[in-house]
Order: sequence, then structure tokens, then C-alpha cells
Amino acid sequence: MSALSGGTKTAEKRPSRLRRLWGGFSIILESRVGTIGLCIIVFWVLVAIFAPLLAPRDPLSQDSDAINKGSSEQYLLGTDQLGRDILSRLIFGTRTILVLAPLSVLASVTVGTILGLTAGYFGGLVDEVVMRLLDAIMAFPTILLYLIIIAAIGPSAVNVVIAITFVGTPGIARLVRSLTLDIRTRDYIRAAQTRGEHPLYIMFVEILPNVRGPLIIDALLRVGYAIFAIGTLGFLGLGLPPPTPDWGGMVAEARKFIWTAPLNVLWPILAITSLVVGLNLFADGLREETTRYQ
Amino acid sequence: MFRFILRRLGFMLLTMFLVSVVIFLVSEVAPGDVARHILGQFATDDQVKLLRQQMGLEQPLYVRYFDWLVGNEWRLRNKVDMPLVYTKARPKDEIQWWAEESDGTLVQWKYKTSSGSLEQIRIAPDDSREVVDFEGWKTRDDGSQYFWGVDTAGHVVLWVKNVEGAGSGPAAAGRSLGTSGGQEYYPLKKGLLRGDPGISLRTNRPVGPTLARRLRNSFSLALIAFLLIMPIALALGILAGLREGSALDRSISLFSLITTSVPEFASGVFLILVLSFWLDLLPGASVFVDDTAPLQQPKLIILPVLTLTLAEVGYVARMTRASMVEVMNAPYIRTAILKGLPYRRIVFRHALRNALMAPITVIMLHVNWLVGGIVVVEAVFGYPGLGLYMLDSALFKDVNAIEAGAMVMVALAVGTQLIADIIYTFLNPRIRFT
Repeated sequence: MSALSGGTKTAEKRPSRLRRLWGGFSIILESRVGTIGLCIIVFWVLVAIFAPLLAPRDPLSQDSDAINKGSSEQYLLGTDQLGRDILSRLIFGTRTILVLAPLSVLASVTVGTILGLTAGYFGGLVDEVVMRLLDAIMAFPTILLYLIIIAAIGPSAVNVVIAITFVGTPGIARLVRSLTLDIRTRDYIRAAQTRGEHPLYIMFVEILPNVRGPLIIDALLRVGYAIFAIGTLGFLGLGLPPPTPDWGGMVAEARKFIWTAPLNVLWPILAITSLVVGLNLFADGLREETTRYQ
Repeated sequence: MFRFILRRLGFMLLTMFLVSVVIFLVSEVAPGDVARHILGQFATDDQVKLLRQQMGLEQPLYVRYFDWLVGNEWRLRNKVDMPLVYTKARPKDEIQWWAEESDGTLVQWKYKTSSGSLEQIRIAPDDSREVVDFEGWKTRDDGSQYFWGVDTAGHVVLWVKNVEGAGSGPAAAGRSLGTSGGQEYYPLKKGLLRGDPGISLRTNRPVGPTLARRLRNSFSLALIAFLLIMPIALALGILAGLREGSALDRSISLFSLITTSVPEFASGVFLILVLSFWLDLLPGASVFVDDTAPLQQPKLIILPVLTLTLAEVGYVARMTRASMVEVMNAPYIRTAILKGLPYRRIVFRHALRNALMAPITVIMLHVNWLVGGIVVVEAVFGYPGLGLYMLDSALFKDVNAIEAGAMVMVALAVGTQLIADIIYTFLNPRIRFT
């Protein structure tokens, strides 16, 4: 998503790019599934942006008179085990997840791109060492990596981002490497080498722009997976520390009180499900339409 | 082919080695002290230090790593001057460390806090057990008496006679550490390479048997889920792939996309809410009485299996569909249709065999995801499997348990990839004959 907004900025200077962006946009609107996904995403992004205006009360304030109460006029979706307003926590939880997920994808795209470009461009021993290390990471069950990383460095927002970055990097590095291997043999790279350009210049100015397309689609897919992972980590108690409103953590908490307040568990489930489904519908629509255009 | 398999096995061992080193390093720099964690906030620093020593944590990192990897009883036997064996002294006993005398009698030593002396537990080869006072102290130059022996909790211990401060060791969190009075402790290990993953810091019991039981539980869960997922997913994928673009295809694809997007914890808790709470049909947690096999209480595993199925079916179905669509558009299928072969025959004889090749290998590669799903599902339902064991151990920083579990998981993941490659080679003649 950050990649898209970055595109908008440069687009203002050059109108042809803006049109191209709109072209890409209308591709998504042609797919019904993609449009639905986009609507869901836009809905949650708006909720996140306007959270302080939308939330009826403070997500952290506790009301000892209303503990695990069902929905009422005062508390639209009821209260949790500490008497906090569930609706407000849901609304503020959107912010947590919609900041952390793109951030961790951006981080793994950055690290993965650098590794992939280096391995692909230089080849030989560098390639062998980097790729074997990344293979070793990929051989590892993802969830186990999360467990070990978070257990080692402790649960916090930054550490969740680090863990997801670490897990996501090998896949991106492989993608970039395979694209780089192809591009490296092109004539314009030869030309740049003959001109005596610095390898860094060739990697980031000549190769990187040509890797961008597949990379952006891959990154979009990964945002959905990052949200999935953040929710799961929160549920397992490896996510954000308690007072922060976090959907996964809310499910874990509410599940303990499923017999007294059964509906409390339903709202965060619906929230995270709709967001992940929305992102996947969007990414699927995008993939389908772009492959059709090619 | 043979060299290929050997190379992959080598890669697997290398991966396991790297992973084990990394986990050791990571657990070293991790904040928080496991001894402090066990003893609680109110233990004195001396007590914490003693427990750290008893757990072997006061030794340098590389010593601990090699002890963990290849064991240390062959090194520590020089201190005790007797062969050390890890065995069941009598058929019904638990497996323990003993020193072995020349006639086959197994001995351990125990410190008596009241008198400051040692007693010896002797088990003769005919299984008779006796406890005798021990007077085999050795004397140092300065006159103090000392003795190196094996205690009842698997340490090599240095005892010094009548020394100030040889109090009892900390007995915390309801566990008697079974050892006291010593000056130096070295926990005995047989080493992972020789089949002993060590003692769990969390439960103070050997990791091996627990891990085996947990692995069996997880395996039966995964197997049942797998047997349910495969036919459903393949059928859905083939149906959708045969009618590309039809309403049936679209709804199956949408269903697959949505079910794979939903995190397991969300669908699991949702199923508990509906089937267990509102409809009251099934128990919402899979709590087994200690050692019963999961298959003996089928009702308890319905919800976990259902959750796993829901999460995985869509992925396999999508793979199958994509592969089926590709095959059905291939020239040889068009030829078969134009030849006037019956549709049924085209699908079953010509299309299916080729279409199933891709999904089968992809599914094997998908095992990492399945493992992830199982960890979450086990956490949701409290199912006593490997995943929950790993989660609990990670939260406790129980290095031995994490290491052992990680080795099992990596071997599983890399092993299935290898099997997938081999199967693919046998299914695909183009590779087999080149």
C-alpha cells in the first residue's frame, strides 16, 4: 500500500503516470471480486484514520460497573472483562494492525530487495551463501520462527515487525533474485557496465525499476498475510503487550469468557476476518486482471 | 538421483545444525532468566545462582552446546572415577543417571542435610535396593574431605564434608530438585546425537518421552485432517477446473479464497461459539486425561480437525483447479475431444493424471503451513500436541524443549520437501529419463 501512495506523489508531477495509475486502478474495478475487496479495505482504512472521531469512548478506560456486559445503549457492542468498550477497542485496533502490517511488509521488501539484488547481480559465492542462508530460514516452519524470535526478544510492536520482516524476507529476496538474473543479461546492463557505472548504480537505478511491477503485487499479497500473522501472534500471546487494543489479543481474552459473554469473541473475529478476506479478494482480483492483460 | 538425495540429506543436517546453534545463541541473549522464572520473584540471588548451576547454565555457552549435542558423561566420569550410565535401574523405575561399580551394581549418592554426611543408594544386578551410610570421602592436602558423586537428579556433584553453608537447595514451584549440599553441579547429558534431548527446564522431566507423545498426538490430528482435506479439496478443484468460468467454478473459487484467508484462530473460536456454545453439540476444548490416545475420544478432536480442514481445503482446491484448467486447455485434450472420445474417459484417463501432479508436490511443500495451522489449532483447543508444547516452551524459554521440538519440525519440513521431490521425479517421466 505504501508503494501505491508513493506512486501517487510522483504521479502529480507527470500526468502520464497519473493516467497510468488510473489505468491500473480501473483494472481492479473491472473485477467484481477485486472491487468488493477494495471497498472493504477502504472501509477499514477510513476507520483507522478517523478512529478518534468514530470511537464512542476511550479504548483503555475501564468501567467496573459494566464487566462483560452485552450490547446496550451506552456500549454498542458491549464491554470486555475489564469493562472497556469493545467497539472503541475494535476501532482503535484497526490502527494498530493497519500500521504494523504495511510497515513490516515495507521492511521485508527493503531487506529482501537488497539481498535479492546483491545475490542476483554478483552471483557466484555471494549468491550461494545468501541463498543457502535464506533457504535455511525458509525450511523452517513459519510459526516456529515467530515463536522463537518473539520468545527471544519479547513481545512488543517493534518486535512483531522484526519477526514478520525476518520471516517475509527470504521469499522477496528469491523473487527479486530470479528477476535480477534475467535482467542482468540485457544489453542496457552491459552498456552500463561498459560505461563503468558503479555496481550499486546498476543494481538500484538500472535493475530495480524493472523489478518493481511483480514486487508490488507480491508486496500487496504479503500485507494480507502480515495481518493474518499479527492476528495470530496476538492470539497466541506473542503480539502486542496487553493494554494496546489488538484484535488477536481481544479474541484470546474474550475466549476465556465465552460462557458469560459469548458475543464478545465474535466482533474481533468478524473484524479480522473481513479485513484479511478483503485484502485477499483485492490481491486476487488484481492478479487475475493483470494476467489477463498480459 | 542417489547423489541428489544425499545432497539434500546433507542440506537437511546443515540446516538442523545451523538452527540449533541459532536457537542456543538466541536463548542466550534473550532477556529474562529461566532460573529466576522458576523460583519466582522472592528467591534470593544465591538460590537463583545455585539453580542456574544445577541446570548447567553457569558454564560457558560452547560447553553447554557441545554437552547438549554429544553429551558429557564421558567427560565427567573422570571426576567420579566410575562409568556413568543412563538407564532404568529396575524395570519399573524411571530412567536415571547412575554410577556403575565393577560388579554391575548401580549407585547414587544423597546428601543428608541433618547430619552433613552422604548416604549411598545401591541397586544390585538382582534388583535388590539398599541404602547405606557412605564413608568413602577423599581427603585434600589441607585436610578437608570431599567427594565427587552422582546425585538422584542426574548431576555430577562435588560434596565437601561439614562445610559451612551446605544448606538445602531451592525447592520451588512444587518440584523437589532432589539434590542438595553440593559445592559444584554438572547436569549429566547423553546428548542429542545419542538420542537424549535432555531435561525440560519447565517440567523438570526428560524431553524425549513427552515430545514423542506430543508428536504422536499432533500426527494423528494432522493425519485425520489430511484424510478429510484431500478428497474434498481434490474433488472441489477438479469440478471447478472442468468448468472454468461457470457459476460453480466461481463459487468454489470464492469459497476457497475466503476459507484460506480466515486465520485459524478466528475460525476455531467461531466454531466453538457456534457448535459448542450455541448448539451444544461438541466439547469446546480437547483436554485429554493424561495418556489416552486422541483416537479413543473422537468427540474431542472433531472441532480441531474441522478447523484445520476449513483452513487448508481452499488452498489445495485452488492448486488443483489451476492445474486442471491448464491441462484441459492442452492440445492433447482437444485432440481427444475431437477424436470423439467420451467425456468421462477424457477426464479420467487423460486429464486427471497430469493434472494431479502439480498439486501433490505443492501440497507436500505446503507442510510448513500445515504445521503453523496445527500450532494455532492446538492453542485454540488446548490439544496436547507438539505445537502447544512448543508454544508453552517458548513462552517459558525452555531451551532444551525448544531445541528438540525445533529439530523435529525442521526434519519434518525438509524431509517432506525431499519426499515431494522424489515423488515428483517418479511421477514425471520427463525428469526420470533425463
